[in-house]
Amino acid sequence: MKCEICRESVATVHLTEISNNQKKEVHLCEACAQEKGVAIHSHVKNLSLPEFFGQLSDTPTTDSKPAAAQICPVCEIDYQEFRATGKFGCASDYRVFRKELDYLLDKVHGAVQHRGKMPVRVGMEMSKRRQIDDLKRELRTAVDSEQYEQAANIRDRIHMLEKR
Amino acid sequence: MQLSDFTSRAGEWLSGEGPDSDVVISSRIRLARNLADHLFLSRADERQKRLVAEEITEAFDQLVGHLELRRLDVESLESIDRLVLLERHLISREHAFASGARTVAFDGGETTSLMVNEEDHLRQQSMRSGFQLEEAWRAMDEIDRRLEEVLDFAFDDQYGYLTACPTNVGTGLRASVMLHLPALVMTRQIEKVFQAVTKISLAVRGLFGEGTQALGDFYQISNQRTLGLSEEEIIGNISSILPQIISFERKIRKELLSSKREVLEDKVWRAYGILENARMITSKETMESLSLVRLGVTASLIGHLEIHHVNELFLFSQPGHLQKVEGGELDSKERDVVRATQVREYLKDLRAT
Repeated sequence: MKCEICRESVATVHLTEISNNQKKEVHLCEACAQEKGVAIHSHVKNLSLPEFFGQLSDTPTTDSKPAAAQICPVCEIDYQEFRATGKFGCASDYRVFRKELDYLLDKVHGAVQHRGKMPVRVGMEMSKRRQIDDLKRELRTAVDSEQYEQAANIRDRIHMLEKR
Repeated sequence: MQLSDFTSRAGEWLSGEGPDSDVVISSRIRLARNLADHLFLSRADERQKRLVAEEITEAFDQLVGHLELRRLDVESLESIDRLVLLERHLISREHAFASGARTVAFDGGETTSLMVNEEDHLRQQSMRSGFQLEEAWRAMDEIDRRLEEVLDFAFDDQYGYLTACPTNVGTGLRASVMLHLPALVMTRQIEKVFQAVTKISLAVRGLFGEGTQALGDFYQISNQRTLGLSEEEIIGNISSILPQIISFERKIRKELLSSKREVLEDKVWRAYGILENARMITSKETMESLSLVRLGVTASLIGHLEIHHVNELFLFSQPGHLQKVEGGELDSKERDVVRATQVREYLKDLRAT
């Protein structure tokens, strides 16, 4: 099939236009389609989040509580409101709607776990938590092997860390 | 507010001196952050917005000695001044036209801009000339680290940095490069770039242009995924595909220069002729002509102009800058006359030197 505009190249872009309830098929080559802005358009299309939700007919309903019933205690929005605007009202929403979010974020980002940087403060908290967990394990081993003096030392170190 | 110095110079990121400036205009990094114990902006009332603005603006003191920042209260600015900031990419469209308490802080070279109360409480931005995404990221990371010492950013062990819109959650990072691809557009090969880029889930959009057609052959490539990848991986994704696009564009430019030199020269000099002689010129025609002139400059067809001159003309010919120079609002017809006059004079001055 030849392109309807230049009548030279092979038509590789096939469009269906509907105007005045009339369905019309248009066949264009890549070059002419690009000239018309058609081909480019198909690649720059960026959906807004509400539009994205509109296309998602298969959003799962949660088994226990329906999403609509949950309201964030801090900013008082429900999931329906978020779906309509695409915006959250506060940081707690991420906790309140975690179940629905895992599904959404997997669709949008193809992932549900952050792997980038974190605030230094959070990183320190995390390493402290890990240190305490390690010490607690050591403490158990010490107690099990009846090394009470060592166990007392470890216990003191845990207290020190927890107070910091 | 005195922003008059803005009408005679451009930010450093438009200097045309960065690596690969013949194809890559600029690199940009943006980080979205929110304060943990404040409502996000869609739910915040005026008093809460003001508190957020105060707390974050105060935290900018952490950057004293590192960056010399100029702070502006965007809410109280005249609309022309807001337009000027927008055209210089110091604030976003959303930030320019939002309502309520909001501020911006930026350095003299305009490489860093910190927007308070945009879609998120804080949007940090770092810009560089040419292909310098990693440099822009390193500078941004350092600023973020300093601010984090005094600001408690909303962060979740699983989701990372929490943002108003979940399309930004995780790293909150948007990395982008602005490209000038006239040869690929001319030879209708730009589609191949789109296909390659979208395949690795990056986004391409035409710059300045409305709807389908990119105006002046400018395209922006940016990451879409912000969660599940580290900052370095996100930047690496763009950095890995960019050299291929750059060399593709260069190769076609070279081919055009050897096989169709007269045609190309004619196009370039006609465009230059329009800019040098027009008495009325629309923003669209200016963009298109400047695009060809930029190509001519990088291909050494036009000797007395440099890339930064073309970049400056892009900036100065936009509505906000034109109206700033004229000192008042102009309708679009008046702007076309003023635009033509200013472009003409800019080029005449260059000829004279």
